[in-house]
Amino acid sequence: MFSSMYAGGIAGMEAYPVRVEVDISRGLPGFELVGSLDREVKEGKERVQIALKNAGLSLPVAKITVNLSPADIRKEGTGYDLAIAAGLLACMGRIDPQSLQDTAFLGEMALDGEVSRVNGVLPIALALRKEGIRNLVVPAQNAAEGEGVSGIAVIGIKNMEEFLIYLQAGKEERRTLFPGKKAGGGKGKEASHAFPDFADVYGQESARRAAEVAAAGFHHLLLTGPPGAGKTMIAGRMPGILPPLTQQERTEVASIYSVAGKLGGKETLSERRPFVAPHHTVSPQGLAGGGRIPRPGMLSLAHRGILFLDEMPEFAAETLEVLRQPMEEKVVRIVRSRGSYCYPADFMLVGAMNPCPCGYYPDRNRCSCSETQVKRYLSRISGPILDRIDMVAQAAPIQLKDLHKRERGESSADMAKRVSEARRRQKIRFQGSPYHFNGELSGRDTERYCELGREERRFLEQVFEAGEMSLRAYHKVIKLARTIADLDGEERIGLRHLSEAVYYNSGRKQLWKGE
Amino acid sequence: MELLTDEEIAGQQPYAYWLDGVKGLGNGKKQKLLSHFQRPEEICLAEKEVLSPFLTGEQIQALKEEKRRVEEYYELSGKGICFYPFYHPCYPQRLREIPDKPFGLYVKGELPKEEERSLAIVGARNCSEYGRYLAEAFGGELGAKGVQIISGFAKGVDGLAQAAALEAGGSSFGVLGCGVDVCYPASHAGLYEQILENGGLLSPYPPGTPPLSFHFPPRNRIISGLADAVLVIEAREKSGTLITVDMALEQGREVYVVPGRVTDRLSDGCNRLLQQGAGVALSPAQLFAELEESLWRDKKSYPLKAGKAGGVEAPGQDAPKGKEEALLALLEITPLSLDEIRLKMKENKRLRDISLPDTLELLLKLVLKGCVRQVGSCYARVGKAGEYGHR
Repeated sequence: MFSSMYAGGIAGMEAYPVRVEVDISRGLPGFELVGSLDREVKEGKERVQIALKNAGLSLPVAKITVNLSPADIRKEGTGYDLAIAAGLLACMGRIDPQSLQDTAFLGEMALDGEVSRVNGVLPIALALRKEGIRNLVVPAQNAAEGEGVSGIAVIGIKNMEEFLIYLQAGKEERRTLFPGKKAGGGKGKEASHAFPDFADVYGQESARRAAEVAAAGFHHLLLTGPPGAGKTMIAGRMPGILPPLTQQERTEVASIYSVAGKLGGKETLSERRPFVAPHHTVSPQGLAGGGRIPRPGMLSLAHRGILFLDEMPEFAAETLEVLRQPMEEKVVRIVRSRGSYCYPADFMLVGAMNPCPCGYYPDRNRCSCSETQVKRYLSRISGPILDRIDMVAQAAPIQLKDLHKRERGESSADMAKRVSEARRRQKIRFQGSPYHFNGELSGRDTERYCELGREERRFLEQVFEAGEMSLRAYHKVIKLARTIADLDGEERIGLRHLSEAVYYNSGRKQLWKGE
Repeated sequence: MELLTDEEIAGQQPYAYWLDGVKGLGNGKKQKLLSHFQRPEEICLAEKEVLSPFLTGEQIQALKEEKRRVEEYYELSGKGICFYPFYHPCYPQRLREIPDKPFGLYVKGELPKEEERSLAIVGARNCSEYGRYLAEAFGGELGAKGVQIISGFAKGVDGLAQAAALEAGGSSFGVLGCGVDVCYPASHAGLYEQILENGGLLSPYPPGTPPLSFHFPPRNRIISGLADAVLVIEAREKSGTLITVDMALEQGREVYVVPGRVTDRLSDGCNRLLQQGAGVALSPAQLFAELEESLWRDKKSYPLKAGKAGGVEAPGQDAPKGKEEALLALLEITPLSLDEIRLKMKENKRLRDISLPDTLELLLKLVLKGCVRQVGSCYARVGKAGEYGHR
């Protein structure tokens, strides 16, 4: 007897359909699993066999062969158990395979028949949909991942009992017993009120403004300032002023989280942009992703959102250097002996750091770090990384008396309004181009999309002659000015937009060129 | 020591150089030996028995092992370095007077001129923006008036004052804690070149000596010794600067101090000196006038070099007006962060309603006009020569 069932696998971020072929024939009794399999896939043989036995369905004494096709792709993970079980049952004549032709199975089986969660349900569902699969049976814990996907019903099952009921039911019966999650429904919660509000930040006018500009143009931002100035507070509030994820972006983000095994529970598909804040002891692999079975790292989890590196100089140098390639190419490439994997990593870097080891430079009453110590501390952020950071803003030290005096700041909702207006303008500007935001513009395209008037050009020349701006920073300043003008609702880049952009650039200059 | 003729001195130079380099012999010991033996050559060639009344066995051993350096003297001139033992006619007169004068002095470039005014400017290495400003203002303005600025070539106040003096067309002399052929700190490579054009570098240590921490306090007495008076800009309590001041007082040099805020730790040393009765320096002009009155009465007036009037750049032609002017008035000599400036603006009627981007535009325009200095994300007013204190 031969039967075949559908399942799905993941290589990097790419999902592909897998056909699980089961054959039971006479011969020397045995159970063989083939098809370029990792250990945990092969061990499924025992899990399935015993789970079936415990449900009162012993396998026949015969030669059993299971092949996972395509057989030339290395398969890993425990998601094939359900499909193997279904194939075996079909061969044993317990179920009718005819009714399962447009159904795929994904899930791990425990010995007592419980079905446990697996990673990557969402991208697999999307890939299987393309293959014409209309039903996907997954562990109940993973069922929520199918929420946003239309065209394929994702059905959650808890254990072997439900699995058998599903398999043995007729087509109509199935639909009523297991309705699956509604396709296309399930909107995420409101984006902004999930995050702390900017209204809680007292004072810090310039740093808040910098956060707003960075959010509007997707510019990489570095906040400096003494301990307790509110750098972390500001960074933590930035996702709240970013516009919600679009449908397309939501699917991208959710797929990454699905592969990483982080979807489900509270982290359902939502419009919230990711905010990922790894501790400074994180390893390069933790940041970029990797492992024997590669998994997306922090950089990919921050895709379309914010990667916040608090105390940036405390990160190991090699860890920071990992950022270089993803910040350029917006993807992380991991090469392993069995192939290369590519994870999206289009994030906005927000860094925070003290200006010196003790944190109070240049306040010489509290800081006695020598110039050399300060320089050495700052140089922990290498030139290439610094080169990719668009703006540096200073969070000013706050005195206790100011805390009493200062009025509450502007709320996130107001800032978000301006940011989304600026984004709307960028959307119109970049129609039909690969760009989404000003921050992504390459050098040559900067001149194309960000035109300067004669007066403005002359002004920038003066700034350059006065030594306030380097030639390298030229395009950065213009890109920033473009975003600031967008925030302002101006079509033309004006002098004040350029001035503000120069200001964000000069913070960078000071930190790394001695003055 | 009997007077040697110039030829004799010249002939003795290699041996004096040899004697200077002997390790394990103190400054005083060398001078004492010389007063007995008269010529360095005789010490070099003396038998052990002759030396034994003056030296311990180890010291004699050190003397005898040192021989090979005599020939090395001739390599000095190739490096552009001169060596002057204390009896040499070129040895600075001012230094001759001080207690524990160095046995010999290595010089690259020139020596300070005896007949010219000279002032030591010393201060903290980790100076604040206030100290930076003062060092440049005093160094620049006094340098332009022909005062030779003596200092320790260190980071912070020392180097800034010297650089400003040279920039203003004056001359400056650095006393090093390492060999004169060693540029320490390395970041002063540019200043090292400049100072050799209009001044010189001096050291009591032979060429090639590395900058070790215990070399620095002894050279402080040379800084004060070469100067007519010492000016202190920013010093913490218990700092190397105060060692220089102690030396200066021991040598009978006038000490002037720029006062600082009592809340600034970098001004503690300065204010303490003032309390103890040091002279007060309020501005370069006032200090110059006061020294002219007391110390430099006999010096001939110095012809000002054309073109470079003061140490601080003059602002551009188009003076700021309106809002720019009002904003400029809010700024201080010490840099203020943007948030501090914004808070001050909110309390000012004319500037209250200006937005953040507009503020930045005004500030950048002021920077371009040369009225404002940008220090990273902070802004400071550029001081004009003689604008503060007594004129």
